[in-house]
Amino acid sequence: MKKTVITTFAICAALSTQAQNKIAIDGSTTVGPIAKAFAEYFMSANPDVNITVSESGSGNGAKSLVNNTCDVAAMSRPMKDTEFKAAADKGIQPVAHVVALDGLPILVHPSNPVQALTVEQVRKIYLGEITNWKQVGGPDKAIVSISRDTNSGTYETFAKLVMSKQKIHKNCEYVGSNGAIRQRVQSTPAAIGYAGLGFVDKTVKALKINGIYPSAETVQTGEYPIARPLFMYTNAYPKLGSPLYRFVTIHLTEDGQEMVEEIGFVPVTAY
Amino acid sequence: MRLETRKLLDKAFSGLGIIAIGVMAMALLLILTPIVVRGSKAFVFKGTIEFRRMMLEQFDRGDPDKFNQEAASTAAARAPVYLMMEEFEAEMKAMKSSERREYKAAFKEVEKSIETLLGPIPGERKPVLLRQQYGQTRWERTLVKLHEALYSEEWDYSNADAMGLLVEKPRVEQFIGTKLEPMFPYLEEHISDMMLPKTTFYWRFITDKSKDSHIFGGIWPEVLGTLYLTLGAMIFAIPMGVIAAIYLCEYAKEGRVVSFLRICISTLAGVPSIVFGLFGLAFFLNTIHVSNSKSVLAGSLTLSLLILPTIIRSSEEAILAVPRAYKEAALGLGAGRWHTVMSVILPASLPGILTGIVISMGRAAGETAPIIFTAAVSVGAPLKIWETLSQPTPALPWNIYNLCTEHEAVDEIRHVQYGMVFTLVAIVLLLNLFAILMRARISKKLRG
Repeated sequence: MKKTVITTFAICAALSTQAQNKIAIDGSTTVGPIAKAFAEYFMSANPDVNITVSESGSGNGAKSLVNNTCDVAAMSRPMKDTEFKAAADKGIQPVAHVVALDGLPILVHPSNPVQALTVEQVRKIYLGEITNWKQVGGPDKAIVSISRDTNSGTYETFAKLVMSKQKIHKNCEYVGSNGAIRQRVQSTPAAIGYAGLGFVDKTVKALKINGIYPSAETVQTGEYPIARPLFMYTNAYPKLGSPLYRFVTIHLTEDGQEMVEEIGFVPVTAY
Repeated sequence: MRLETRKLLDKAFSGLGIIAIGVMAMALLLILTPIVVRGSKAFVFKGTIEFRRMMLEQFDRGDPDKFNQEAASTAAARAPVYLMMEEFEAEMKAMKSSERREYKAAFKEVEKSIETLLGPIPGERKPVLLRQQYGQTRWERTLVKLHEALYSEEWDYSNADAMGLLVEKPRVEQFIGTKLEPMFPYLEEHISDMMLPKTTFYWRFITDKSKDSHIFGGIWPEVLGTLYLTLGAMIFAIPMGVIAAIYLCEYAKEGRVVSFLRICISTLAGVPSIVFGLFGLAFFLNTIHVSNSKSVLAGSLTLSLLILPTIIRSSEEAILAVPRAYKEAALGLGAGRWHTVMSVILPASLPGILTGIVISMGRAAGETAPIIFTAAVSVGAPLKIWETLSQPTPALPWNIYNLCTEHEAVDEIRHVQYGMVFTLVAIVLLLNLFAILMRARISKKLRG
């Protein structure tokens, strides 16, 4: 009995060290749909590689990469100095792969007559200076502002590009994922929120910002003011030809760019 | 106390008891009915030809000859739609550019909604994303998408003081007088010929892999992950918990240290599960590195810590409930302490210990917070048993949450979410049933 238990454990341990054909992805919920589609695409061509995707926010992705508990950190913002430093201390060398571009559409309920805002107005809404839709040309309704949690890369982008690092007012509601933002906005007529381009569907309405509607063209040309690249970070550049290398270069292939586009994001190059 | 007062109190108490039980039964009914009704739709539903196409191509299942026959008949039913679209395109090309612009955007929308409804237009390049390679696989979604193809949603903002109103406009109005006009009534009339809905029993929903992050296929990786995590937690928690309980009851000298230990265990039982999750991440993954990514092993260890207090306390109670006479008789006959514990006390307390194990097993299967950071992922393949030592897995409780909040196509796959809830509840119920039966058998054996 004892012997069999020990041998099973030994076999398991041996097999588990041998079967290193796995890629663990952790991080951004914005990059999540891209990572999941790439994983499906990659695994259907390479059934012996197991790719796991968890969507826990860019901050967590960075932490996992620094602690060496994931192979790819999906992030919707660049790594911060503190994270680079922590990585360097642990002997990790983060390398960025830009897999797609993303505009940050400002979302409202489709019944909201407001069609356009300026960055200034959005900032004032989140600062608590504008509290009613009638102040920006809408009906007399108190604005319900919704933001991502502070662990999110989408939040960091918003804080930098819209808020200019000023503090969001304290009545703002924080939710944990892009999907949750969409759900809150589609169920609350007076709500305003922001999410990745891939999460816009007909249940929410994206606003024109500074007169520009967020689309593939306006994001790529930089006309849309709230745009950003989406990253996958790896520890050093993956060994050429390895499964990880092939995975983080999918976005450069024609199929990869088509997937990015069909999910709703903007491919890095015109294909 | 006077007799009447006593009788009244008695009646009031039994009445309260009945009310409490009634409320509980109602709550159970209220919770379980929607779970069963909606959950069963993942297994039994009206599947369309697209479902059968997907099954044949992705899972190699179904009768190809029969499918080809059906596919031919649907293709014939669909052909006029594609023909009318082609003719309209030709018509559009012949128009002046100012007129063409008027139709172009509207036609693009129509084209897109037809693709979502029926799948890719024949003769065009096969899309890379699996979700775009098939039309609607379920009849109820087909009807929703049909409505979207027939009507465009517009918002009426004419009243500036109020929120806009949803106005549904038949798309056909945009194409009056063109070759596309007859397509809309044709689509509405012949939709069931194009899709051939048939009642489908998809019991392999439980044992199929998911395709394209749950848009097609089943939930096997999640089910397997939940079983691994639960069993793993049990493997660690049962021996540790029962041994600790035996030590506390039979070996340790009653005193300050033991009562302090008991307080600690009770406190541990009250610690919120997310704290265990964070502890698991910080200790098992980041400090002692049981694996180099999240893994079933790390998740099981974390879950076992979570259920350990329950197992210790219930085992202790069960052991203390064994009559002293048993123990004294065994010791009096010359058995050692070890022998007494193994051959007299443990068998006699087994039913009680099992109860504790069952309760904690249900909890381990359903807990979400401890596995978020230690084991659970939103997409992954079903694991082989040795891979559990180093790889993370999807698991039912986490994926239910993930599907309803984070998934990009939430509304398209509600049935998967409900199916998962149903399966999780069924698993917990089966585990409990199994343990109750086992407990009954053991008690019967003990009574001789």
